[in-house]
Amino acid sequence: MKKSILLVDDEPHVIRVLRLMLEREGYDVASANDGNEALEKMAARRPDVMVSDIQMAGMDGRELCRTVRARYPDDSFPIFVMTSMTASEERAWVRELANVEFLEKPLSPRQLIARLTTYFANAATQENPHA
Amino acid sequence: MKNNRIGLILVVSSLAVIALVVTLLLQRQHKDQAEQVRAQGLGTVRSLAALPASVLLPAPGQPGQSGVLASLLAGRDNPDFAYAAISAEDGRNLAEVASPGAIVPPAAPLALASFDERSVAAGQNARAIREFRGPLASADGRLQLRIGYFEPHGLLDLKDLPFYALIALAVFLLVPLIYIVIKREMAPLAALGAQLQTLNAAQTQAQPGTALTRELDADQDVRGLAGKLNRYLDHTSARIRELEQDSIASMASGRLLEYGSNKMQAVLQCLPDGLLVLDPAGEVTFATGKIEPLLGVPVAEVLSQPSEAWCRDPELRAMLARFRGAGLDARSQMTIEFNPLGVPGKRLWATAQALVGHSMAYGTLVVLRDATREHLARQAGNDFVAHVAHELKSPLNVIGMYGEMLADVGIDDPALRVEAINVIQDEVERMVSLVNNLLNVSKLEMGSMRPERHRVKLDDLLRDAWQQARSRAEAKNIRLDLQVARDLAAVSVDKDMFRIALNNLLNNAIKYNQPGGSVTLMAEEGDSDVVIAVRDSGIGMTPEDRERVTEKFFRVRETGDEQRGGHGLGLYLSNQIVELHHGRLTIESELGHGSVFSIHLKKMPALAEGGQVL
Repeated sequence: MKKSILLVDDEPHVIRVLRLMLEREGYDVASANDGNEALEKMAARRPDVMVSDIQMAGMDGRELCRTVRARYPDDSFPIFVMTSMTASEERAWVRELANVEFLEKPLSPRQLIARLTTYFANAATQENPHA
Repeated sequence: MKNNRIGLILVVSSLAVIALVVTLLLQRQHKDQAEQVRAQGLGTVRSLAALPASVLLPAPGQPGQSGVLASLLAGRDNPDFAYAAISAEDGRNLAEVASPGAIVPPAAPLALASFDERSVAAGQNARAIREFRGPLASADGRLQLRIGYFEPHGLLDLKDLPFYALIALAVFLLVPLIYIVIKREMAPLAALGAQLQTLNAAQTQAQPGTALTRELDADQDVRGLAGKLNRYLDHTSARIRELEQDSIASMASGRLLEYGSNKMQAVLQCLPDGLLVLDPAGEVTFATGKIEPLLGVPVAEVLSQPSEAWCRDPELRAMLARFRGAGLDARSQMTIEFNPLGVPGKRLWATAQALVGHSMAYGTLVVLRDATREHLARQAGNDFVAHVAHELKSPLNVIGMYGEMLADVGIDDPALRVEAINVIQDEVERMVSLVNNLLNVSKLEMGSMRPERHRVKLDDLLRDAWQQARSRAEAKNIRLDLQVARDLAAVSVDKDMFRIALNNLLNNAIKYNQPGGSVTLMAEEGDSDVVIAVRDSGIGMTPEDRERVTEKFFRVRETGDEQRGGHGLGLYLSNQIVELHHGRLTIESELGHGSVFSIHLKKMPALAEGGQVL
């Protein structure tokens, strides 16, 4: 079964490129323009991984992550947040949330694919350690 | 010398006293003798007048001799007895007796039946005689009895000499006593005189310009003392006048100081910073009214209070505690930045400086400065850098992604290749536009962007801008129209700057439009101004967005999938440029129906023939 990825970004070009690249890698990709749309999509179907920008109009990435973790406390699927902020205080908020990691901007789609591949491989190993 | 004078005065005084006493005594003696002679004379005349005349008259045949009268002479008990006579009415002396050397003077008529007395001049160089007389009844007619006594001579009686000598001795004995008493009484005056002299000398020495009009009298007598006293009083008066002048000067100086102090207080109160002065114990001794809006604490609650009593801010309290007590020098200074609890939203700098001088610690000066604007500016600067970095990273992010995609998957897909190339080109243009606008904004805010205004014909300028924007509009399938009235009035603008403002308006109108939409560049002339408008059939704005659309970095929230690529500087820059040209930018917009951005510029008066128009 295809792993599902939810892309959240208000930059259509980013969504366009990542969707194309991830679909080529065999992922099932959904996208949203901001946090509210992402929550709507999530209500219909929980993704295996969420990739989100932080600075967005409407509900931003930070609020989206907090809402997701609060709304689905038993489902700590990984969230990758894309940021160009380098200051540590800008990144401190993720410590209070489980399984949230940063992706540096400018983002390389290849790096994202590598992170996802590693994650799903590790997850598969943990689920079936004798495989 | 002084003593001799006093002695001489005393001797002369004593002699005068003696002379006075003797004179008085002699007068008394003379009066007593006169009274005695009178009583005796009148008594004798009265007693003899009572006798029959025949007893008193001489016996017949012995004219001029009377036994009774003779007995008066023989038995006289008064040495001043001169004569006794019985005279007839015609002045003849019927009987007379006289002391040796005395001459019986002629008789004078006597009033009827009366006793009287008179002075009789007994001749030149003779003693005056007091005569007592009275009527003597007889058969021979009217007779009068006369008895004369020498007037008392008033000379010193030798027998009284011891008495007078005794008085003189007593007076003389009083002289040394008085002298001693005077000396004793004069001693304090002498001491006072010496002191006055010393004071005078000291004042004269201290004030060489003050001339002594007279030399001190060396004899140190009372006049000398009075003189010294007068001079001392002169000096004292002069000194009092000096002190009064000093007092007036001091008062004037005091008022000047008070004026200066009040002025300084007014200056300190006018300072935009709040000032606090604390004594070494940490109590506030001075505070300006500015501390209330800065700290939220009234001055009255601060004065004469330690910091614990009024200061609610732990950072400030900790700093004030460090400056309390000894061990501080003039270099002791500390600055903190904090948000005062009493005034939310305020940011303050507090600088404490030890007040030290001449080995004395006077306390601490605390200057409170409102750093809110600086803090916000710093924050805005940080935000600006973060924003610009984000604005630059966003197109770079897209360019990088499309680059990777082109390399990995798009190389064999012509449609993807075209898409990637177009996106990369758009993002590069976006970055170039951002960088150009950033540079222009920077120049604008630094004040280095000064319009060089010239008289410009708008037709050409607008037509150029329209031509440049046409290709961008056509690429997005947007119609770009030009509606410019003929013979528009000239305006005074900086062509290069004005072109930036116009291009930003046209770019926005194209960017925030729909495919198949339209943009119209118009210009028309009003009574006093020229209006250049850019009308679009784009997405429009809400009234809230329209109010803020010319703010720096403000971006209208976009809806739908299309990315417009705005960076929030274009309209800000256009508005600033229009304002630099003393014009105004107005915006009409309706969400979903497009917007109209209008630049209003003042018309220039028509040029005389030959004027240059660019």
